[in-house]
Amino acid sequence: MGADGRAPVVGSATPEPGTAGHPASDQAAGFALPPISRRQLLQVAAVAAPSLVGSTLLFEWLSRLTAGPPSPPIDPVVARYDPTAHRWGFVVDAAACIGCGQCVVACKQENDVPLDGEHTRTWVERHSVAVDGTVTVDAPEAGAHGFPALAEAAVAPAGDEAGSAIRETYFVPHLCMQCEESPCTQVCPVGATYRTPDGVILVDEQRCIGCGFCILACPYGARYLVPAGERTPKGVAGVADKCTFCYHRITRGRNPACVDICPVGARRFGDLDDPQSDVSRLLRERPSKVLRAGLGTRPRVHYLGLEAEPEA
Amino acid sequence: MMLRLAGRSIPADPGLAVRVLRAEVVGLPRPLRLWLGGLAAILLVAAVAAVRALFPGDKALNTTPTFEWGLLIVGYVFFAITTSGLCLASSLGTVFGIERFRPLEKRHAILAVLSLCTAFGIIALDLHYPVRMVFGAVFNPSPSSPMWWMGVFYGIYLGCLLTEVWSMFFGHPTIHQAACVASSVMAVIAPSTLGAVFGVIAARPFWSGPFTPLLMVSSAFVSGTALLGIVFYAVCRFELAGVERARRLAVPAIRSLLLVGLGLVSLLVLRQTAAGWLSADPLLVASTRALLVGPLALPYWTMRIVGGLVLPAVILVVPWGRTPAGVLAAAVLAMAGVFTDRLTFVMAGQIAPAGAVAGTVSAPWAWYVPSPVEVAILLGAFALVAFVYTLAERYLDLREADAHVGMSLHLPGLARVRALVSLARRGRVASEPLDVAAAPGPTPAVMVTVPAAAEPVVATEAVVAAEPVVFGDPIPVPPAIVAAEPVVVASAPVRPEP
Repeated sequence: MGADGRAPVVGSATPEPGTAGHPASDQAAGFALPPISRRQLLQVAAVAAPSLVGSTLLFEWLSRLTAGPPSPPIDPVVARYDPTAHRWGFVVDAAACIGCGQCVVACKQENDVPLDGEHTRTWVERHSVAVDGTVTVDAPEAGAHGFPALAEAAVAPAGDEAGSAIRETYFVPHLCMQCEESPCTQVCPVGATYRTPDGVILVDEQRCIGCGFCILACPYGARYLVPAGERTPKGVAGVADKCTFCYHRITRGRNPACVDICPVGARRFGDLDDPQSDVSRLLRERPSKVLRAGLGTRPRVHYLGLEAEPEA
Repeated sequence: MMLRLAGRSIPADPGLAVRVLRAEVVGLPRPLRLWLGGLAAILLVAAVAAVRALFPGDKALNTTPTFEWGLLIVGYVFFAITTSGLCLASSLGTVFGIERFRPLEKRHAILAVLSLCTAFGIIALDLHYPVRMVFGAVFNPSPSSPMWWMGVFYGIYLGCLLTEVWSMFFGHPTIHQAACVASSVMAVIAPSTLGAVFGVIAARPFWSGPFTPLLMVSSAFVSGTALLGIVFYAVCRFELAGVERARRLAVPAIRSLLLVGLGLVSLLVLRQTAAGWLSADPLLVASTRALLVGPLALPYWTMRIVGGLVLPAVILVVPWGRTPAGVLAAAVLAMAGVFTDRLTFVMAGQIAPAGAVAGTVSAPWAWYVPSPVEVAILLGAFALVAFVYTLAERYLDLREADAHVGMSLHLPGLARVRALVSLARRGRVASEPLDVAAAPGPTPAVMVTVPAAAEPVVATEAVVAAEPVVFGDPIPVPPAIVAAEPVVVASAPVRPEP
């Protein structure tokens, strides 16, 4: 793009840089709009500003109108539900879990969650502890269909020979921890992730923008963006999704689907404010821990039988 | 009816407009036509990819719940911080009045607007619901989220930049100066907040911490300065508008700024790796190992450390680094280094999950390979900046807004001060007395900075009494200087007219 390579103004000879007719030199002429007086500027602003605000409000109103009702219809049972009267908690008994994966399947069926292992609200991990203390984790297909023998696992356990140096194996069911100091609600730029008065964290699928910030901020990997496909929780793809403690069930006095399906009672759910509830009793009677306690997120999912688990 | 833009008449009739456009394209020099044609082809492919990426939840992008932020986030961060870097580099001239950095002014503003708009475009394609973001940020603000603040600050930043460009081309020096100051302030705040988006994520120790915003601002400075280096090489190579000032002032200024930036970033990178390697946090150690000796080691050591920091610094130090070609080589390497840094930074933060996350075992590392759609969008982003900037370079007057009127004043000091104050009140003087010893001839001499695109200087009584002298290139100074007209002369070195 040399100086001598400049194109002519249409229908004229090529001018030299710095001379009249050169594209750059004609800039002044090109931008020489008539001067605008302060009064004219104010007049334009007086028309433009209300128009802009008005059209924005109109667009917002229209988008809300077309987005449908903000929440599902409330049935009479839910209408009697008082969220301020509960403080829901969850207890996972890792010592009892047999890794059957029925909880994962039940969750996917109940909530229309995609069937693959990557996009899931709950999953079960197998932790294999080697003699030297190294922990190897695997969760094929989110643990939905059980686990293969260690020697056939995709991730070879630590040790001299696969499987030979394992001294302990146990299963750890995972789900959203419903943290009281939840990073996800703090980082959401549009307030789409919020906490209900009973302590459950939900996602407003009509408000979520799909930025993924909450997914990265979650220390437990409990969130995912809903992929497009036949199975989309709440029917919206591209938004964040996570375990809700089956909020549609618990507000009707039922347990989450995974709790009801568990054949060995490894998942317990109840009101932490009710001293007679299962969860309160278990937490009183047995030592428990929360995952990644050092982050200060104060999870409402407590684990029993994880004494051997190193703190991550 | 005719529309007028940049000295060209554009017919409102579509058929006629197409004919005029075709004639214009045919009239372009062949290399330029090829360059623009190539860029347009990339843009076309990117446009198809962009449409493909618009459907929410579609698997056009290869991101996963384990690796949620991919190449588009890398691109967004890169272009967003480059915008800030351009303003930071140019603010030394426009805001702080350092003469040798003034030639960076106009081109930086065009590039900054382009770069920021491109960043917004990339993030819109990465988001699944970008329109919701705009309305959500306004109607459901979430001040606890750094991402919300980032949107606010970058929005304000874009407003400042657009005001800066408008006032520059339409000749409003007072507004321009205010917009420059505001842009420079936002150039620090915005990338810092972008750094905070990563810095607040405690779950990703490689990202979290107070040094992340600092690293963002520093590498912004490097990438912005490097981009200016590339542009000013083109100015020298193709003898574009303002080539003399570019050779004399811009290229040495960019060389100095780039060296400073590289030194600063090197220190921060050293801190990052040392802190990560020696940390007690297993996740941070794992991420750092991935970077230094793991799957990210190859790009990190070759492109980031050797190619992105060491080589450009060496080039700038040796004599060849003083030439436009040397600055170009260093700038390209430094820019590639910053991009690699953004890439490895985003990947290292996600590559070492705590264990099995969302059902996917990620041992020993999580992994992500960008999809063709993501690659095409990123290439399109670079092509967009290059395409639009080439057009701006061709059709806009990118000579610097500030030229200098030289004059000497046969006045006592007090009168001189009064003269300057009088001009300063009109918003058109950023003046300092010249070094008297270095200015032979009548003393004391002063240099008055006058925006070239502005209306002529209205001379005060004191200035009327002055006699003009010539600085730098021997450009004839008409007597009108003492009456009304600004005279464009070079600013340094000072020497008497032959």
